[in-house]
Amino acid sequence: MNNRVRITKLILWSIVGFAGAVGITRFLFGLGATTNLTDATPWGIWIGFDVMAGVALAAGGFVITAIFYIFKREEFHSFVRPAVLTAFLGYLAVVFGLLFDLGLPWNIWHMMIYWNPHSPLFEVGWCVMLYTTVLLLEFSPVPLEETSRYARIRRILMKFRFPLVLLGIMLSTLHQSSLGSLFLIMPFKLHPLWYSHILPLLFFISAVALGLMMIAYESLVSHWLFRRKPETNLVEKLAKAAVWVLSIYFIVKMADIWLSGEWHLMFDGSWESYLFILEMLISTVIPIILFSIKKVRTSTAGQWVGSSMVVFGMIFNRINVGGLTMLRATGDTYVPSWMEITISLGVVSAACLAFLFAIERFHIWKEKPQDPEWEPYTPPVFDHTSEVWLGTPPLAARTKYTLVLLLSFALGFALIPSHKIESKGVEIVPVQKARGGDTLFIDGNHDEYGVLFAHTQHIDSLGQKQSCDKCHHMNMPMDKATGCWECHRYMYSPTDAFNHDWHADAHGGNIACTQCHPKGKERQAETAKKCDDCHLDLLPSDNPIKVENYTAPPYVTAMHELCVSCHKKKAEELSDKKNLALCTTCHQSAPPKYLKAEISKHLSGPYFNHVVIPGVNLKQEKEQLHKNE
Amino acid sequence: MDALLDFARGPFFRFSFAIMALGLLRVIVLDLLGAYDAYRKAGEKDLPWGLIISRSLQWFIPINRVFKYRPIFSSISILFHVGLLLVPVFLFAHVHLWKQAIGFGWFTLSKEWADWLTILTIASGIALFIGRVFTRSSSFLSRFQDYLWPLLLLVPFISGYVCANLTISPKLYQLLMLTHVLSAELIFILMPFTKIAHCVLMPLSQFVSNLAWKFPADTDDAICTTLNKKGAPV
Repeated sequence: MNNRVRITKLILWSIVGFAGAVGITRFLFGLGATTNLTDATPWGIWIGFDVMAGVALAAGGFVITAIFYIFKREEFHSFVRPAVLTAFLGYLAVVFGLLFDLGLPWNIWHMMIYWNPHSPLFEVGWCVMLYTTVLLLEFSPVPLEETSRYARIRRILMKFRFPLVLLGIMLSTLHQSSLGSLFLIMPFKLHPLWYSHILPLLFFISAVALGLMMIAYESLVSHWLFRRKPETNLVEKLAKAAVWVLSIYFIVKMADIWLSGEWHLMFDGSWESYLFILEMLISTVIPIILFSIKKVRTSTAGQWVGSSMVVFGMIFNRINVGGLTMLRATGDTYVPSWMEITISLGVVSAACLAFLFAIERFHIWKEKPQDPEWEPYTPPVFDHTSEVWLGTPPLAARTKYTLVLLLSFALGFALIPSHKIESKGVEIVPVQKARGGDTLFIDGNHDEYGVLFAHTQHIDSLGQKQSCDKCHHMNMPMDKATGCWECHRYMYSPTDAFNHDWHADAHGGNIACTQCHPKGKERQAETAKKCDDCHLDLLPSDNPIKVENYTAPPYVTAMHELCVSCHKKKAEELSDKKNLALCTTCHQSAPPKYLKAEISKHLSGPYFNHVVIPGVNLKQEKEQLHKNE
Repeated sequence: MDALLDFARGPFFRFSFAIMALGLLRVIVLDLLGAYDAYRKAGEKDLPWGLIISRSLQWFIPINRVFKYRPIFSSISILFHVGLLLVPVFLFAHVHLWKQAIGFGWFTLSKEWADWLTILTIASGIALFIGRVFTRSSSFLSRFQDYLWPLLLLVPFISGYVCANLTISPKLYQLLMLTHVLSAELIFILMPFTKIAHCVLMPLSQFVSNLAWKFPADTDDAICTTLNKKGAPV
């Protein structure tokens, strides 16, 4: 009886169940409910570990195919199938894990149609997509050999094996390095010890080293799991190769740091410097030393220690580049929430389960490991606690694994913090009256970021007193120009402009129900009188905005719809005001002088809503606005 | 008491609901997988699909079938099931809670309908219980749990009805509300593991029992092995 496999499977299933509950919560309630990510730290452990490290960990696939097919090292044949399978599952895990991190995961296909060839992410996305397909085609002959029915498809795939291998190596070279190119855009965000112009090169070399060690590590783990004789000789050869690649990586990295004059940063005592030294020791220096000694290289224990150091050290490197060393620049503190860690572990566990499934089902190794449930044959067992026949061993295993999955899923779902998912909806932000006289400062929530609105100038240009209706499309009784804020009472949520309770209240309108609701009919909004049946001056006669129901849109929406639609029209009509409908026309003005003292603290820096659009002469427009003021 | 109620309505509700939803899915999947295994091994592959489907549908709309043998029992049983399914799913208060939690709700029963259906469910449940105790053929088939589960099903209905309709002291209200929530959650947890799972397994019953009588070629030997009587004549 092989209990190692059984216990491992139970643990993996329980992690998958736990992560499943968190995953559902993430898609139901969003990133805010499940992660500690912020606007300053939008890339957390899901990018650092799942994507950056995930792609690097799957590098074994292209490394082994290069060794076997290109360099013709036939002795590594037994590594090809497991390594290609690991790479395929690794890439699936990367894509699947990425779905959790994307804000709009259903748009993941956009990169296929909406091309942005300037973006490294575009290249990475395409490469990962194509390479996953290539890996599928490289691997599919293995399951297809199980039945003779698909022999023809298999033969065709085998014929194209060599071009597929070449394509796979090419694509890997591209995107393993491009993942590094992603960070070239952030020279001021990434810590100088990790930032380098040759990041793509460093990523590629380290991926090759990691690929070699991943093949070794995976061989060690799976042989331990299924109690097989370890492939010590082959792993030793991989370790020997890894020493060379790691040495090149070490020299290139150190030379880069030396040449860019950042040597002193390594020993300046900041926590990044310790992080860097630790990373280099684990991922590169100690493994090089260990594997240079023949005695260590040829012993199973030495292989375990060395390969796991490289694997975890390189994961550490990817996490460091992927966000950890940006925290100093952003001033943010980010510690991944337990839910983020759970999802990452769950994705890995699911991939491991798929790996075990494939190992037991197909000829990944020369001889299939026996399904632990079938050795030796045991008749169905009667379970006295539940008073049921558990059935044949595989059937009992199915029952057990799904039960573990179910229980851990329910536990995970119960542990999700209630306050994170019990949202009261959009926060209500009340609107206040615009301040000013001839020129108004529109700043509904009084957060001091607003828009200057030249009210008098608009009256003059739109046609004096007759033009009020063009904007003031609905007025309170006895009023001619009611302010926007009186009906659009909330910044971001709609308001019921008709105030029912005020009308019914003795201190308000104090009118009887029957004045609006006809007798004998159910009292509903549909059957009641319309507002303008009583308030004859409610709607001005020739206003361009038709009031359909009395739900007033949010203040922000109302402002934009009213101003922008008119500005667009005018921009077409007037040849000298082409820029009228641009964001900067309104969102650039400094607040009026009488507010300046109040908000002086904001005057020194750039404004929150200061939009810069190329080709528009901001300075000139700004002067014009100040002149108006 | 408030903390207990919050726990019952928050984490424990999520726990029990997850057990119910995923647990019921699990028994369906396990059943179908088992059926697939059985079908693959079966010596004779012909299944009377028409008969299976028509019988499943007949059992699903039980009026035609059971009325012939036990008219009173079957009509009470139908009433019991109608209330049992409709009230918890379409009660206005429940839908409102869903709407708060996940953002959308669905069709709701009016207060009068919900009240009458609740009373009907309670009454028919008690009638079924009495019938089970005093009908010899039923009590002969029943285990202890077969008496317990129907009674347990009534607890949330009774406590819910009292909370919704009667004027009681706030303390008693909280106690009854806690009983209501906890008993319903106990039922959720029990659903996949007890006979109550028939709520999702019912459509499969005809299919599985028809399949069960298709034996693989060497079944007799396997049965003997299982019974530790290898080599015995069949």
